[in-house]
Amino acid sequence: MNAHHTLHETIPEASNPLGMAGIEFIEYVTNQPLALGQALEAMGFRAVARHRSREITLYRQGGMNLVLNAHPDDARVSATEGGGPVISAVGLRVRDARLAHQRCLDLGAWEVASHARAMELHIPAIHGPGGSRFYFVDRWQEFSIYDIDFTPIHDVDPRPPALAGMHYFGLVQYIGAGRSVDWITYYERLFGFELIPDEQRFGIMPKGTLMRSPCGSFLWQLVEPVPSLEDESLLNESLQRIGIGVPDVPAAVAALAARGVSFVDSAELHPEDRGALTRTVLGNVAFELVHQTA
Amino acid sequence: MNALDGFGLDTITFAGPLEAKLAAIAQAGFSQVMLNARDIVGHPGGVPAAVAAVRASGLRPTGFQVLRDFEGLSGHLHDYKVDIAKGMLEMCAALGSRVLLACSSVSRHATQDYDELARDLRKLAMLALPLGIRVAYEGLSWGRTINEYTTAWDVVCRADTPNLGIGIDSYHIIAAKTPPDAIEELDPERIFLVQLSDFMWQETQSFEDRMTTARTFRVFPGEGVHSEALADLVIRLENIGFRGDYSFEVFNDDYQQLPLDVVAARGRRSALWLRDDVLHHAAPLPAWATQSRAA
Repeated sequence: MNAHHTLHETIPEASNPLGMAGIEFIEYVTNQPLALGQALEAMGFRAVARHRSREITLYRQGGMNLVLNAHPDDARVSATEGGGPVISAVGLRVRDARLAHQRCLDLGAWEVASHARAMELHIPAIHGPGGSRFYFVDRWQEFSIYDIDFTPIHDVDPRPPALAGMHYFGLVQYIGAGRSVDWITYYERLFGFELIPDEQRFGIMPKGTLMRSPCGSFLWQLVEPVPSLEDESLLNESLQRIGIGVPDVPAAVAALAARGVSFVDSAELHPEDRGALTRTVLGNVAFELVHQTA
Repeated sequence: MNALDGFGLDTITFAGPLEAKLAAIAQAGFSQVMLNARDIVGHPGGVPAAVAAVRASGLRPTGFQVLRDFEGLSGHLHDYKVDIAKGMLEMCAALGSRVLLACSSVSRHATQDYDELARDLRKLAMLALPLGIRVAYEGLSWGRTINEYTTAWDVVCRADTPNLGIGIDSYHIIAAKTPPDAIEELDPERIFLVQLSDFMWQETQSFEDRMTTARTFRVFPGEGVHSEALADLVIRLENIGFRGDYSFEVFNDDYQQLPLDVVAARGRRSALWLRDDVLHHAAPLPAWATQSRAA
């Protein structure tokens, strides 16, 4: 998705305190890398590079980078989720990663210890919901973080085009009962996200609270549990699924269906022009398509 | 529905090992317990064993105490306290407690600027936020800058963070003779904890007096000489719509020398006094009545 450069039009600088400029990558952690890799390839992603020292593969299509992390130390967390893959991190593009990180720590974010080895990039990070992390990346214009830590896979186009114009639309985060106001505060204070009025809804999964990143390039959806169905003393908070924007939902659904992706299709929820939801695979993995012109 | 719902005892009131305290509290009919970090860290099996004991007890943690002297520090002292706070928050989360009690600072090294105190509490609340923990900020009656609930509430309002609220302790209000009228100015949704206790002296003039009495000679509500003031406070809280937890914060050297069930029985008598004679709560309906209504 193109950045809209709204910063230079109407929004004052203070509203984008980290100089945020989009999603650099989203990371899944899993102890089933082959199965998840297949699911990603069905969605149009291609494995383009491997990490130099860890069991991590970079998948890509168009502007979307998706990191599949099967490093044993990290994959252990997926065992706590019933073995299914977990969205474990989001890399955020910012103006200055060190300053962004320090600002968040000063405001009360939890620091994540670095695992970088010699000659590897130290990418600063803070703890997010559940066991997830937010990384701050400022090397995405002249060169990329993958140039240093990853080795390209031979004979593979390092920049495979996006299927059906797909691009990151946003993330859906499941939160505990009554926790919307807390998480709104977290994203407002740390990242400068803004609440979107209830009248503005996207796709076919309109539940919850919507926030927009200060760069305007992605959305964040907070969803509380259905009342009374869950024990309120349990938090069970996590990054639940990735939203993918497409210019033409039926065309994208047809292209993905031809690759073996199946969609939720019931009386209550089925593919429409506004959006579609893939059937959950591997216990946890679903993608939501949302109509959006890039 | 339990006759003592809404009231809980505090591990600091009892002598003995954690398991014995939890058992005495549960056997007296309470369903919740305020946990003290010393009881958790001091467990011979370590923190994991203490966490397991709390979970096995079936008692819901009212809260976890106590983070001291957090706000107003700078430089390395601030960084040190942030580390301490993180350690406390991790234990609080492991115990399944959704409230961390933070007491107003007594430190001479802390600033007295309200906005700076608020900024630090905002940071503490942000640290607690991903863990699902709410921070109850309590004005100790011997706090250096914040020593009344009124000023504690002022700082909480300045910090303006949803998971930061106030902790009320009747002892400090009565000891400092803070007028109770300002209770009406509190937002009941932002009172995250109310601790109740009384004491036997009419006066506690100096900070020194207040501290010594608070730490050695508190008694349960209804046992002391300020029953009227205590009842008035609870009724005011009820009238503004407070429906959260009351915990009996009774530090008492004598109770530390009595059998646990004897002390817990005093706590039970106190809860019934509050329920029946002060708040005039209706007795809970028998199980068959609520079941038939639900069906």
